[in-house]
Amino acid sequence: MIESFHIAELASNVQAGKLSASEVAKDVISRIERHNGRLHALLHAEPDRILAQARAIDEKRARGEVLGPLAGVPVAIKDAICTEGETTTAGSKILSGYAPPYDATVIARLRGADAILTGKANMDEFAMGSSTENSGYGPTKNPWDETRTPGGSSGGSAVAVAARIALGALGSDTGGSIRQPASLTGTVGVKPTYGRVSRYGLIAFASSLDQIGPFATDIRGSARLLEVIAGHDPHDATSLNVPTASYEAACGATIKGLRIGIPEEYFADGLSDDVARSVRAALAKLESEGCVLRPIKLPHTRYAVATYYVIATAEASSNLARFDGVRYGLRAPAQSLAELYGATRDAGFGKEVKRRILLGTFVLSAGYYDAYYLRAQKMRTLIRRDFDAAFAEVDVVASPTAPTTAFRLGEKANDPLAMYLSDIYTLPASLAGVPALSVPCERGQDGLPVGLQLVAPALQESKLFTIASAIENHYAPTFPPEVR
Amino acid sequence: MTGPAIDRARVLHIAKLSALSLHESEIDQLANDLNAIVKYVDELGEVDLSQVPPTTQVQFEASKWRADEVVSGLTHEQALAASPQVEHGGFAVPVFVEGAS
Repeated sequence: MIESFHIAELASNVQAGKLSASEVAKDVISRIERHNGRLHALLHAEPDRILAQARAIDEKRARGEVLGPLAGVPVAIKDAICTEGETTTAGSKILSGYAPPYDATVIARLRGADAILTGKANMDEFAMGSSTENSGYGPTKNPWDETRTPGGSSGGSAVAVAARIALGALGSDTGGSIRQPASLTGTVGVKPTYGRVSRYGLIAFASSLDQIGPFATDIRGSARLLEVIAGHDPHDATSLNVPTASYEAACGATIKGLRIGIPEEYFADGLSDDVARSVRAALAKLESEGCVLRPIKLPHTRYAVATYYVIATAEASSNLARFDGVRYGLRAPAQSLAELYGATRDAGFGKEVKRRILLGTFVLSAGYYDAYYLRAQKMRTLIRRDFDAAFAEVDVVASPTAPTTAFRLGEKANDPLAMYLSDIYTLPASLAGVPALSVPCERGQDGLPVGLQLVAPALQESKLFTIASAIENHYAPTFPPEVR
Repeated sequence: MTGPAIDRARVLHIAKLSALSLHESEIDQLANDLNAIVKYVDELGEVDLSQVPPTTQVQFEASKWRADEVVSGLTHEQALAASPQVEHGGFAVPVFVEGAS
């Protein structure tokens, strides 16, 4: 049932009483039972909680109250986002069984909009990864081909939407962790401007980069979700106190005359022919509808991976110091305080998390700070200036979201650098703090989804939704036959 | 810029700074991985950055002071609820006698 709706239509039906939230909830539970064991999109889902939320929504309507913009819409939540009293592990064994004492701001806003939270979605441990294989609880599989990864780190959120276990999801994007899995699963994924969405209650990875954003089956749904979660929050000092636009109204607006920059650096070595062909075909359609395509340069793109892996790991090494076995989470037996910390962190953290903590500690350590951390911060300035210069000439920048379609499980698991390079196109916008989204275009010859990335100047998410909805008109949202 | 070789001793040193215990079996692999990553990161040395200011944050609005109002936070019980060990109304750690021989 829910697979035949997008977010806006489902909410209209529930608001109008044509469909009850309880009917939606029962279908969600049945879809979890049918598909989640195989795909492992959700780590924790409690049928009783799903039904209880739905009942409360139906009772609210029965009392004559107006339902919110997400009435009865099933939304999956990345396991890095705190939900009160409900297990939240960030994909890590160190937080096994942890139940936070409060809701993240985005969760409170979803509840206020009458969404149904379906459960917590799998992810790379502490969002460190690009395939969801670094989860402490086993990988998530791509429903388009279960021998392949869904990307990451928000792979569970992407698959929940791709397999229509939910119609929307929240993820977090530090270097591409929403956009890349959206691209690999044929879903829409949005990374808003840094500071657009409150991070209160998001388990931190790299604080100068982390941003929460939505996944959805269609563009309009992603716009509605962003409208609900965006906006100032006094609990988060980095949240911007600026007006939130009507992103849904931006969908379907005219694209005539909009200037789209095509960065030559993104169509270079390492990009698969299949992906390049799909993205160029979509851009040609925009041009035929009145957009102006203009070649641009983002000359420091090639340094983005190195810059990111210095800055993000440095920040992570500091953020993850809080997991010490004292106030929450795992505690290993020990004979001294140093051993308590060391043994707890050894038992609780996976391989990639340890690798990144060590790298981050190294680049911040005496004698190496200037050569690595400071240098990366300076390169970040040049990457930001690249975008400033580009946006003086064009309205948005368009490119592939990822260099390839979904790769095989295990293909890059033992080569950290190869895994890092799969984020090459998404990292620059993260470093610059500007908004970006991934929208599906034509599938590749291998039958797998391909995503097109759009990047806009800070706070101009509306432009992303306008152009993405024009692309979506040519490539109707679809899902794999196996999950029908 | 030539990167420093990250050998076993350096891995153990940064592991100590990171409060991470490592298994003997993983030290060499970590040294290899970190060396490969640091070698890649050395490409940042190709560009003259001497006149470029660092970016420390990308917030698109100056931070503002919030009103100094008292608001309720977590209760004592909520704050302690997830602790592995609670004693006398506080977070408890095992008793250690540091420096004892």
